[in-house]
Amino acid sequence: MDRRDFLRTGGALVAGVSGALSLPALSSCTSQEAQSATVLSGKKWGMVVDLTRCREGCTACMDACRTENNVAYHGDKRWDIHWIRRATLEPKEESAGLEEKSLLLMCNQCDDPPCAQVCPVQATYKREDGIVMVDHHRCIGCRYCMIACPYNARFFNFKENPEWPNPEYPRRSHGVAESCHFCAHLLDGGGRPACVEACEATGARALIFGNLQDPASEVAQLVAGGSAKRLREDWGTKPKVYYLGL
Amino acid sequence: MAMDVEFAKIEGRSVPYLTSVGVLAALAVGGFAATLIMHEHGLYLSGMTNRVPWGLQIAMAIFYIGLSAGSLVVSGLYGVFGRMEYKPFARIAAYLAMLFLIAGLLSILTDQGRVDRVFTKPFTYVNATSMFSINPALYSGHIMICVLYLWALFKEKGTLTKITSLVVVIWAIGTHTGTGAIFAFVPRELYNSALLPPSFVAAALSSGAALMILVLVTLFKATGRHLDDHLIIWMGRRLLSIFLVVTFYVLLIENAHRAYLAASHEAGMFFLFGGIHSFMFWIGLICVGCVIPAILLFIKRTGTSVRWTVFASTLVVVGVLFERFLIVVPGLVHPPELLPGWEVTDAALWEGVVGYSISYLEVLQTLGVIGVIGFMFMVGLRIMPLAPKEARAAAGA
Repeated sequence: MDRRDFLRTGGALVAGVSGALSLPALSSCTSQEAQSATVLSGKKWGMVVDLTRCREGCTACMDACRTENNVAYHGDKRWDIHWIRRATLEPKEESAGLEEKSLLLMCNQCDDPPCAQVCPVQATYKREDGIVMVDHHRCIGCRYCMIACPYNARFFNFKENPEWPNPEYPRRSHGVAESCHFCAHLLDGGGRPACVEACEATGARALIFGNLQDPASEVAQLVAGGSAKRLREDWGTKPKVYYLGL
Repeated sequence: MAMDVEFAKIEGRSVPYLTSVGVLAALAVGGFAATLIMHEHGLYLSGMTNRVPWGLQIAMAIFYIGLSAGSLVVSGLYGVFGRMEYKPFARIAAYLAMLFLIAGLLSILTDQGRVDRVFTKPFTYVNATSMFSINPALYSGHIMICVLYLWALFKEKGTLTKITSLVVVIWAIGTHTGTGAIFAFVPRELYNSALLPPSFVAAALSSGAALMILVLVTLFKATGRHLDDHLIIWMGRRLLSIFLVVTFYVLLIENAHRAYLAASHEAGMFFLFGGIHSFMFWIGLICVGCVIPAILLFIKRTGTSVRWTVFASTLVVVGVLFERFLIVVPGLVHPPELLPGWEVTDAALWEGVVGYSISYLEVLQTLGVIGVIGFMFMVGLRIMPLAPKEARAAAGA
């Protein structure tokens, strides 16, 4: 019995008290997931961020993401939502040869996602292809996922989004959480994430996306190369976003 | 020989009674209005942000849950340990425990982004690995057991009282452990600690016992009924003081462990010496909430005075309020170390060490919850025989 199963079993025993009241409804929620499992199996989407190719001052990926997914921007750091963001890092102690780094941060699409583990209504869940999704119609806005995400990659709609540039992508009300989902809606239609497309259009090719389970894919080969690192692997969250030049 | 305790409703016609009921009702209405406004326009009207997504309401929720431990203390004395002289307090303790659990649930409820979905989704999509799924079950179960226990007390059903009070004690430990686990079981440096649930239980017992002392002394004084000093002094010196020592001990180990290990040293030092929250910790929690009241209770001259016991209890309640805030906020204010040895200096998101300031609407919500349970308490005293006519240490012995 691994840690996950242990928590599941232990939790199930306790939650059973309230769960017993809602058994009929409980059984209905799994069929939907089972259906998508067959379509999505055999894939494990992952991304490699090549920081050596990422251009300083370029915002193409971030802009494309914001437009594609209707990500809210209020011009206030407290409530702005960023599915992908740039951060500048400096060494905490002076050390020869260490200069500041520029890093792209996004949802790490953990294979062991703490956000999904804590979501009380299973609004955040991991698909069969490894993508961590948020169901905006189910989220109750408790923000426990934001507490649990050690990467601060999850965001909450504190305010009504002022702009909805993409009519194709669903709107969501204020009061629900969200984060990057590798543009799952585009993937399902055979496309690629908007940030990856945008980065490629600039010629930088700093974002490489693909199926980690396909040994022939570029991402799989870059990861197999051994120099790709993940953020805080010691946390045991098993991110599927890798960095080159970190 | 079983002691006969007479219980009686309070008159409830005095000006102070009616005034306080009116004020509490007004607070409840204010809290309701604040919640409506916030959920119409969005939670940005609170002081919370994408970096500090939990604030006052969650801190208050766990504070109330902790206070409900008062029932554990008192019901345990009479029901489990058979101390008959504490029977007079059993009903009021059970009723208060129920109210505090309701307050905890109300605080969490009004803090949700989509309050409208709270009554359906958590029941239809239970996630057994979520402490937020497990805890509402624990809290509601606790409330139901309290109701049953209260009923057993009202009907003077001896066996059922014994069973339910034992179940309440065991269940309460589960409730408080579960509440601590909301924080302890997530991978954040200042949250992730196996000692958090036990320290939560210890602080819960301290604040619960302290609040019971305050409520009992105030209630007996206000109704002019007789309360034997020994009962209160024993609770202060033999219960509260021990709980305080345990709380202090667990807090000491938890923080020493965090500050000692290289992996968590920086976060540990941030908590202890890194900002305004450190003042809350040292002054509010350690001095005011633990050390000073413990000393007051241990010294014979002050510890055997009801007046000083009440003072010490007040300090404990305030101290534990700080402790609850310290569980929630510093762990969020402190930035995660995404790349060990590096710090974020510039970003789109508010990175690094951030602040949290409470908004007036959050304060109104908090006062509203106090209004609701305060109102229920006052009305309960009038419509149910909750309070004893007198409480004597030697009676029936």
